[in-house]
Amino acid sequence: MSENGHDHPHPGSGTGKTTTPHALRIRAMEGLLVEKGVLTEAEIQDRISYMDSRSPANGAKLVARAWTDEGFKDRLLTDTKSAALELGIDASGPVEFIVVENTPEIRNLIVCTLCSCYPRAILGRPPDWYKSFEYRSRAVKEPRAVMREFGFEPSENVEVRVHDSTADIRYMVLPMRPEGTEGMGEEELEGLVSRDSLVGVAVPKNSANHE
Amino acid sequence: MSGPHDLGGAKDFPGPIDKSQHEVEDWERLTDAITTALDGKGIKTTDQHRRAVESLENYGELGYYERWAAATEKLLVEKGILTKEEIDERAAEIEREWGGE
Repeated sequence: MSENGHDHPHPGSGTGKTTTPHALRIRAMEGLLVEKGVLTEAEIQDRISYMDSRSPANGAKLVARAWTDEGFKDRLLTDTKSAALELGIDASGPVEFIVVENTPEIRNLIVCTLCSCYPRAILGRPPDWYKSFEYRSRAVKEPRAVMREFGFEPSENVEVRVHDSTADIRYMVLPMRPEGTEGMGEEELEGLVSRDSLVGVAVPKNSANHE
Repeated sequence: MSGPHDLGGAKDFPGPIDKSQHEVEDWERLTDAITTALDGKGIKTTDQHRRAVESLENYGELGYYERWAAATEKLLVEKGILTKEEIDERAAEIEREWGGE
Protein backbone atom coordinates (compact mmCIF):
# COMPACT_ATOMS: atom_id res chain seq x y z
CA MET A 1 0.00 0.00 0.00
CA SER A 2 1.36 3.42 -0.85
CA GLU A 3 1.83 6.07 1.81
CA ASN A 4 -1.25 7.85 0.49
CA GLY A 5 -3.33 4.79 -0.14
CA HIS A 6 -5.18 5.02 3.16
CA ASP A 7 -8.70 5.85 2.10
CA HIS A 8 -9.90 7.71 5.16
CA PRO A 9 -7.03 9.88 6.30
CA HIS A 10 -6.89 11.20 9.82
CA PRO A 11 -6.58 14.93 9.36
CA GLY A 12 -6.15 15.45 13.07
CA SER A 13 -3.33 13.07 13.61
CA GLY A 14 -0.92 13.09 10.71
CA THR A 15 -0.20 10.19 8.45
CA GLY A 16 2.64 8.41 10.23
CA LYS A 17 1.58 4.78 10.17
CA THR A 18 3.40 3.36 13.14
CA THR A 19 2.07 -0.13 13.77
CA THR A 20 3.42 -0.84 17.25
CA PRO A 21 0.66 -2.10 19.57
CA HIS A 22 0.13 1.15 21.46
CA ALA A 23 0.25 3.27 18.32
CA LEU A 24 -2.47 1.08 16.81
CA ARG A 25 -4.55 1.17 19.98
CA ILE A 26 -4.54 4.97 20.22
CA ARG A 27 -5.58 5.14 16.53
CA ALA A 28 -8.38 2.73 17.38
CA MET A 29 -9.43 4.86 20.35
CA GLU A 30 -9.37 7.95 18.15
CA GLY A 31 -11.74 6.38 15.62
CA LEU A 32 -14.10 5.03 18.25
CA LEU A 33 -14.21 8.23 20.32
CA VAL A 34 -15.05 10.28 17.24
CA GLU A 35 -17.72 7.81 16.08
CA LYS A 36 -19.35 7.82 19.49
CA GLY A 37 -19.29 11.59 19.64
CA VAL A 38 -17.07 11.71 22.72
CA LEU A 39 -14.51 13.85 20.88
CA THR A 40 -14.51 15.49 17.47
CA GLU A 41 -11.62 15.47 15.01
CA ALA A 42 -11.56 19.25 15.33
CA GLU A 43 -11.04 19.03 19.09
CA ILE A 44 -8.19 16.57 18.61
CA GLN A 45 -6.62 18.75 15.92
CA ASP A 46 -6.93 21.80 18.17
CA ARG A 47 -4.95 20.04 20.88
CA ILE A 48 -2.24 19.01 18.46
CA SER A 49 -1.96 22.55 17.06
CA TYR A 50 -1.90 24.00 20.56
CA MET A 51 1.01 21.82 21.66
CA ASP A 52 2.85 22.29 18.37
CA SER A 53 2.63 26.06 18.85
CA ARG A 54 4.33 25.95 22.28
CA SER A 55 8.09 26.06 22.33
CA PRO A 56 11.08 27.18 24.38
CA ALA A 57 11.04 30.39 22.29
CA ASN A 58 8.11 31.48 24.49
CA GLY A 59 10.24 31.06 27.59
CA ALA A 60 13.11 32.95 25.94
CA LYS A 61 10.75 35.87 25.22
CA LEU A 62 9.64 36.04 28.83
CA VAL A 63 13.21 35.94 30.08
CA ALA A 64 14.52 38.57 27.65
CA ARG A 65 11.70 40.93 28.61
CA ALA A 66 12.35 40.32 32.31
CA TRP A 67 16.04 41.15 31.78
CA THR A 68 15.18 44.47 30.16
CA ASP A 69 12.12 45.53 32.14
CA GLU A 70 12.26 45.37 35.94
CA GLY A 71 8.49 45.87 36.28
CA PHE A 72 7.80 42.97 33.95
CA LYS A 73 10.25 40.82 35.88
CA ASP A 74 8.33 41.47 39.10
CA ARG A 75 5.07 40.55 37.42
CA LEU A 76 6.61 37.41 35.91
CA LEU A 77 7.77 36.30 39.35
CA THR A 78 4.50 37.08 41.11
CA ASP A 79 1.82 36.34 38.50
CA THR A 80 3.35 34.31 35.70
CA LYS A 81 0.18 33.69 33.72
CA SER A 82 -0.83 37.31 33.34
CA ALA A 83 2.75 38.37 32.60
CA ALA A 84 2.88 35.72 29.86
CA LEU A 85 -0.40 37.00 28.46
CA GLU A 86 1.14 40.47 28.13
CA LEU A 87 3.45 38.94 25.52
CA GLY A 88 0.63 37.05 23.85
CA ILE A 89 1.47 33.71 25.45
CA ASP A 90 -1.72 32.09 26.70
CA ALA A 91 -0.85 29.82 29.61
CA SER A 92 -4.34 29.88 31.08
CA GLY A 93 -5.79 26.76 32.60
CA PRO A 94 -5.99 25.11 35.98
CA VAL A 95 -2.23 24.59 36.29
CA GLU A 96 -0.24 26.98 38.48
CA PHE A 97 3.03 28.44 37.18
CA ILE A 98 5.91 29.54 39.35
CA VAL A 99 9.01 31.23 37.96
CA VAL A 100 12.09 30.86 40.16
CA GLU A 101 14.93 33.33 39.82
CA ASN A 102 18.61 32.48 39.63
CA THR A 103 20.87 34.90 41.49
CA PRO A 104 24.60 34.97 42.18
CA GLU A 105 23.80 32.98 45.35
CA ILE A 106 21.08 30.62 44.10
CA ARG A 107 20.79 28.23 41.16
CA ASN A 108 17.46 26.55 40.52
CA LEU A 109 16.77 23.21 38.89
CA ILE A 110 13.41 21.83 37.77
CA VAL A 111 12.45 18.17 37.77
CA CYS A 112 9.35 16.02 38.02
CA THR A 113 10.37 12.92 39.94
CA LEU A 114 6.95 11.29 39.71
CA CYS A 115 6.21 11.81 36.04
CA SER A 116 6.98 14.54 33.53
CA CYS A 117 5.17 17.64 34.75
CA TYR A 118 6.62 20.57 32.84
CA PRO A 119 5.49 24.09 31.94
CA ARG A 120 3.99 22.69 28.74
CA ALA A 121 1.59 25.58 28.18
CA ILE A 122 4.64 27.83 27.78
CA LEU A 123 7.51 25.60 26.60
CA GLY A 124 5.73 22.76 24.82
CA ARG A 125 6.34 19.05 25.25
CA PRO A 126 9.26 18.23 27.54
CA PRO A 127 12.48 16.86 26.03
CA ASP A 128 13.15 13.13 26.28
CA TRP A 129 15.91 13.49 28.86
CA TYR A 130 13.56 15.32 31.23
CA LYS A 131 11.32 12.23 31.21
CA SER A 132 14.18 9.77 31.59
CA PHE A 133 14.38 7.62 34.71
CA GLU A 134 17.98 8.80 35.16
CA TYR A 135 17.11 12.50 35.29
CA ARG A 136 14.04 11.95 37.46
CA SER A 137 15.90 9.91 40.04
CA ARG A 138 19.20 11.81 40.10
CA ALA A 139 18.15 15.47 39.90
CA VAL A 140 16.97 15.52 43.51
CA LYS A 141 19.87 13.48 44.87
CA GLU A 142 22.87 14.85 43.03
CA PRO A 143 21.77 18.01 41.20
CA ARG A 144 25.36 19.25 40.91
CA ALA A 145 26.46 16.09 39.17
CA VAL A 146 23.52 16.44 36.79
CA MET A 147 24.44 20.06 36.06
CA ARG A 148 28.03 18.99 35.46
CA GLU A 149 26.80 16.47 32.91
CA PHE A 150 25.02 19.26 31.09
CA GLY A 151 28.18 21.31 31.06
CA PHE A 152 28.06 23.74 33.95
CA GLU A 153 28.35 23.10 37.67
CA PRO A 154 27.96 26.11 39.96
CA SER A 155 30.70 26.80 42.48
CA GLU A 156 30.48 25.44 46.03
CA ASN A 157 29.24 28.69 47.56
CA VAL A 158 26.19 28.78 45.31
CA GLU A 159 23.08 27.20 46.79
CA VAL A 160 21.33 24.74 44.48
CA ARG A 161 17.56 24.54 44.86
CA VAL A 162 15.68 21.68 43.22
CA HIS A 163 11.97 22.12 42.53
CA ASP A 164 9.92 18.96 42.13
CA SER A 165 6.98 19.73 39.86
CA THR A 166 3.51 18.32 40.35
CA ALA A 167 0.42 17.93 38.24
CA ASP A 168 -0.81 21.23 39.68
CA ILE A 169 2.36 23.33 39.93
CA ARG A 170 4.86 23.82 37.10
CA TYR A 171 8.13 25.67 37.50
CA MET A 172 10.33 27.58 35.10
CA VAL A 173 13.73 29.11 35.80
CA LEU A 174 14.52 32.77 35.23
CA PRO A 175 18.26 32.55 34.52
CA MET A 176 20.72 35.37 35.14
CA ARG A 177 21.53 37.74 32.32
CA PRO A 178 25.06 36.96 31.13
CA GLU A 179 27.75 39.58 31.54
CA GLY A 180 28.70 41.63 28.52
CA THR A 181 25.14 41.75 27.14
CA GLU A 182 24.35 45.30 28.27
CA GLY A 183 24.17 46.61 24.71
CA MET A 184 21.92 43.85 23.42
CA GLY A 185 18.29 44.35 22.46
CA GLU A 186 15.49 42.03 23.50
CA GLU A 187 15.58 39.95 20.36
CA GLU A 188 19.29 39.31 20.59
CA LEU A 189 18.91 38.39 24.25
CA GLU A 190 16.18 35.88 23.40
CA GLY A 191 18.72 34.07 21.26
CA LEU A 192 20.87 33.42 24.32
CA VAL A 193 18.13 31.66 26.29
CA SER A 194 18.11 27.93 25.67
CA ARG A 195 15.47 25.48 26.77
CA ASP A 196 18.00 23.85 29.06
CA SER A 197 18.58 27.15 30.86
CA LEU A 198 14.81 27.45 31.47
CA VAL A 199 14.87 24.04 33.18
CA GLY A 200 18.04 24.98 35.03
CA VAL A 201 20.48 22.34 33.80
CA ALA A 202 22.37 25.02 31.86
CA VAL A 203 22.93 28.78 32.00
CA PRO A 204 22.69 31.27 29.13
CA LYS A 205 25.99 32.13 27.57
CA ASN A 206 27.01 35.30 25.84
CA SER A 207 28.14 33.69 22.61
CA ALA A 208 29.48 37.05 21.36
CA ASN A 209 32.21 36.69 24.01
CA HIS A 210 33.52 33.61 22.32
CA GLU A 211 33.79 35.00 18.83
CA MET B 1 4.98 1.82 49.71
CA SER B 2 6.02 3.76 46.68
CA GLY B 3 5.22 2.65 43.13
CA PRO B 4 7.46 2.29 40.12
CA HIS B 5 6.88 5.94 39.23
CA ASP B 6 8.35 7.26 42.49
CA LEU B 7 11.85 7.78 41.16
CA GLY B 8 13.14 10.68 43.27
CA GLY B 9 16.48 9.56 44.69
CA ALA B 10 16.09 6.00 43.37
CA LYS B 11 19.40 4.17 43.03
CA ASP B 12 18.48 2.02 40.05
CA PHE B 13 19.35 4.57 37.37
CA PRO B 14 22.80 5.96 38.15
CA GLY B 15 23.12 7.52 34.72
CA PRO B 16 24.47 9.09 32.64
CA ILE B 17 21.47 10.97 31.26
CA ASP B 18 20.86 10.32 27.58
CA LYS B 19 20.39 13.75 25.98
CA SER B 20 19.41 12.53 22.54
CA GLN B 21 15.97 13.54 21.32
CA HIS B 22 13.72 11.47 19.11
CA GLU B 23 11.36 13.26 16.78
CA VAL B 24 7.85 13.14 18.19
CA GLU B 25 5.82 10.70 16.10
CA ASP B 26 2.28 11.31 14.90
CA TRP B 27 0.82 8.64 17.17
CA GLU B 28 2.55 10.29 20.13
CA ARG B 29 1.13 13.69 19.26
CA LEU B 30 -2.24 11.99 18.89
CA THR B 31 -1.90 10.32 22.28
CA ASP B 32 -1.03 13.65 23.85
CA ALA B 33 -3.98 15.31 22.11
CA ILE B 34 -6.59 12.69 22.99
CA THR B 35 -5.45 12.53 26.60
CA THR B 36 -5.57 16.29 27.11
CA ALA B 37 -8.78 16.72 25.08
CA LEU B 38 -10.52 14.21 27.36
CA ASP B 39 -9.23 16.19 30.35
CA GLY B 40 -10.42 19.42 28.77
CA LYS B 41 -13.93 18.04 28.38
CA GLY B 42 -14.03 16.84 31.97
CA ILE B 43 -14.25 13.19 30.94
CA LYS B 44 -11.23 12.38 33.06
CA THR B 45 -8.81 14.30 35.25
CA THR B 46 -5.05 14.68 35.42
CA ASP B 47 -5.05 12.89 38.77
CA GLN B 48 -6.94 9.94 37.33
CA HIS B 49 -4.44 9.87 34.47
CA ARG B 50 -1.56 9.77 36.92
CA ARG B 51 -3.15 7.01 38.97
CA ALA B 52 -3.71 5.01 35.79
CA VAL B 53 -0.11 5.54 34.62
CA GLU B 54 1.34 4.72 38.02
CA SER B 55 -0.61 1.49 38.34
CA LEU B 56 0.50 0.04 34.99
CA GLU B 57 2.02 -3.38 35.62
CA ASN B 58 4.66 -2.94 32.93
CA TYR B 59 5.45 0.71 33.77
CA GLY B 60 9.23 0.35 33.43
CA GLU B 61 9.04 -1.42 30.08
CA LEU B 62 6.87 1.07 28.27
CA GLY B 63 7.94 4.23 26.49
CA TYR B 64 6.57 7.53 27.71
CA TYR B 65 3.63 7.90 25.34
CA GLU B 66 2.99 4.16 25.50
CA ARG B 67 2.26 4.72 29.19
CA TRP B 68 -0.06 7.57 28.30
CA ALA B 69 -1.89 5.51 25.67
CA ALA B 70 -2.24 2.57 28.07
CA ALA B 71 -3.49 4.86 30.85
CA THR B 72 -6.03 6.58 28.62
CA GLU B 73 -7.32 3.19 27.46
CA LYS B 74 -7.56 1.98 31.03
CA LEU B 75 -9.63 5.00 32.06
CA LEU B 76 -11.90 4.87 29.00
CA VAL B 77 -12.64 1.22 29.73
CA GLU B 78 -13.11 1.81 33.47
CA LYS B 79 -15.57 4.58 32.72
CA GLY B 80 -17.51 2.39 30.31
CA ILE B 81 -16.89 4.72 27.36
CA LEU B 82 -15.07 2.08 25.29
CA THR B 83 -14.59 -1.66 25.70
CA LYS B 84 -11.30 -3.48 25.41
CA GLU B 85 -12.86 -5.74 22.80
CA GLU B 86 -13.84 -2.94 20.45
CA ILE B 87 -10.38 -1.39 20.78
CA ASP B 88 -8.80 -4.82 20.06
CA GLU B 89 -11.00 -5.22 17.02
CA ARG B 90 -10.41 -1.75 15.62
CA ALA B 91 -6.66 -1.93 16.22
CA ALA B 92 -6.53 -5.23 14.33
CA GLU B 93 -8.50 -3.66 11.48
CA ILE B 94 -6.09 -0.74 11.23
CA GLU B 95 -3.13 -3.08 11.36
CA ARG B 96 -4.54 -5.14 8.49
CA GLU B 97 -5.14 -2.01 6.51
CA TRP B 98 -1.71 -0.51 7.16
CA GLY B 99 0.29 -3.69 7.37
CA GLY B 100 -0.73 -4.93 3.91
CA GLU B 101 1.76 -4.48 1.11
